[in-house]
This record gives sequence, C-alpha cells and structure tokens, in this order.
Amino acid sequence: MPHPADQPQPEEALATGAVDWSAPGSAQPRLNRPVAERYPQIRPTSGHADSRIRHSGPGPGAGTDHDPERSAMLSGRLIVVLSIVVGQLWALGVGVDAWMQGHTSIAWWCAGFEVLSFLIALAAWRFGPTDH
Amino acid sequence: MTDRQGTGPQGTGPQETGPQGAEEQDRLRDRLSADSLTSRRDYLRVMATVSGGLAVGSVAVAAGVLPRHGDAKAAEVVPLRVADDLPKGRAVTFNYPTEHDRAIAIRLQDGTLVGYSTVCTHLACGVLWREERGDEGQLYCPCHEGAFEPRNGAVVQGPPPRGLPKVLMLEQVDGSVWAVGTAYSDESPVHAACRQLNAKDAKLGQVACPKTVRD
Repeated sequence: MPHPADQPQPEEALATGAVDWSAPGSAQPRLNRPVAERYPQIRPTSGHADSRIRHSGPGPGAGTDHDPERSAMLSGRLIVVLSIVVGQLWALGVGVDAWMQGHTSIAWWCAGFEVLSFLIALAAWRFGPTDH
Repeated sequence: MTDRQGTGPQGTGPQETGPQGAEEQDRLRDRLSADSLTSRRDYLRVMATVSGGLAVGSVAVAAGVLPRHGDAKAAEVVPLRVADDLPKGRAVTFNYPTEHDRAIAIRLQDGTLVGYSTVCTHLACGVLWREERGDEGQLYCPCHEGAFEPRNGAVVQGPPPRGLPKVLMLEQVDGSVWAVGTAYSDESPVHAACRQLNAKDAKLGQVACPKTVRD
C-alpha cells in the first residue's frame, strides 16, 4: 500500500502542465518533506557524546567552492613557476658559457640565482590554498 | 552493413547502438580519461621538480663537472713538439694538453702561427681547417655549419656559443713548432700564459705578469 504522502497528483495538474518536473527533489513527494519531518527521531542534539561521532559533517555550503578564485590562483602560480624555469634555462646557459671561458665567479653567481629561483618555485608550489 | 561514417556525434541511426558505437564510446572515454591524468596541480609539481633539477645542474656546472679544454693541471702540462716544420697554408693536428684533447696548429698565409682545440663549442663535433673558406680560411664544423675565424677563434657563423679554446704555439729557431699551453674560450693568450705560470710558480708569475692580467 503506498504511503499517504505518495498519492498521485490530481489529473488536472498533469493535464495543464502545472507539475514542475525540472524542480529539484524526488518524484516521490514524501521524500521531499523536511528532514525533521521525515526522521522525527533525529533531534538537534542527536549524536552528542557519541564516541563514534568524530566530525560534525559537512555544513552549509558543502560541495561548493569555498574560494572562487582558487582556480585563477592555481593558474597564476603555474605561470610564475613556468617563468622561473625559463629564467633558469637562460641562467644555465650564461653559467655554462662563463665556466667555459674561465669566469668561475660568474658561474657561481648563476648557480646562486638558480637556487634562489628554485626556492621561489618551491614556495609557489607548496604554499597554495589547501581547501581542495 | 554498418556505416562507420554515421557513428559520429551527429548520427542518429541505429548504428550508434551497435558494437561499433559502443567501441567508439569506450575509446572516447579512454581518451578523455588519459587527458585528465595531468592536472594543473600535477604540472605545477613537475615544473617545480624541473626547477630543482636546473638548480642542481647549475651548481654542478659551477663546481666544475663539465670538462674544459686546458683544465689539465698547468704544472703537469709539458711542451709538445708538434711538427719539425709547418709551411704557410698548412695545418697539423695533434692531441694537447692530454691525449684526449684534439687540437690543430695552422700556419696562415702571412706566416702567423695559431693553434686551437678542434672540439666545437656547440655540440663537440670535430672542427676542420678549410683554407678555401673566407678571406684567409676558416675553422669549419660540418655538423651544424659553424665556422670560426682563424686569427682569434671567434665565431663567424652558425650556432656555436663561444669561440674555440686556443693552444698557445711557439716556433723555435730551427723551425720546429711546439704547443706550450692552453687558453679557455675567448681568453687572451697573455692571460692564459700568466694563469699557467702562476700555477707552476706563483712567485715568478707575480713578477712576470702585471696585476691587471693576474686578476
């Protein structure tokens, strides 16, 4: 026997198209009732002091993007690191030329530049938003 | 008969639901899955790793991991008799300062005696003496059409990034030709000679070489 809340809608509503089939929710009206009505056993304090409950669970806005600019920041960090790598390739060429010409001090300056660039790239990689 | 052309996105016939359509969908799904394997975050990690590799490589270069013509300890380099006589327009190849360092001595048409490493500074191909090229000949690398000027070893054509390292040549009274030292790419012969003299005898080097050259 069907649940009383699952009674079919009036024929006239279907005939006139008043039923909004694209609306969110279930086709079974009983499942669209508020949670407190569907599960009266669950109280606002349910789970309190229950050792099995470790987290409060997803709150309002769960599943949405907390930081809408996170994607743009990721692209920006990637561009920064790519630019650094291009600069490092240039510095490596300068350093090799300097070494081959006997200018060892210039080669070491280039090595320092490379290490500094790597640290910046490392920072751009590691220290990003972690809400993913 | 199944129409292979009709299984595309615009096709609406029953062919789409056949084995061909299913196979195509599986192939498309595999391709999309493969495309999504590398995300921007993965790419960021890879490029940061490349950056670290470049930093390590640069430190290794500065520390001297690359072989350099003339890096044999100056005190151990002994003069090498290259030829008993070298007429104008002729060249002779030899190994100096070690047996792994290929070199060439050239007598130009005006009598000038020059010597160079024959390892190209681009990708280490062998450099050849071509007397017919240029005004007074050129040192020519056939691998990538690089060419060097014979008087100072400077690059005149092609991709080499530096001039050829020099071999310091000396002609004795009896006409014999000797290799007596080496110079790095684009290093002046005076600077190279003083550098090697300092390595052999620092006191003598301080006396014989001006301070501007020693520095």
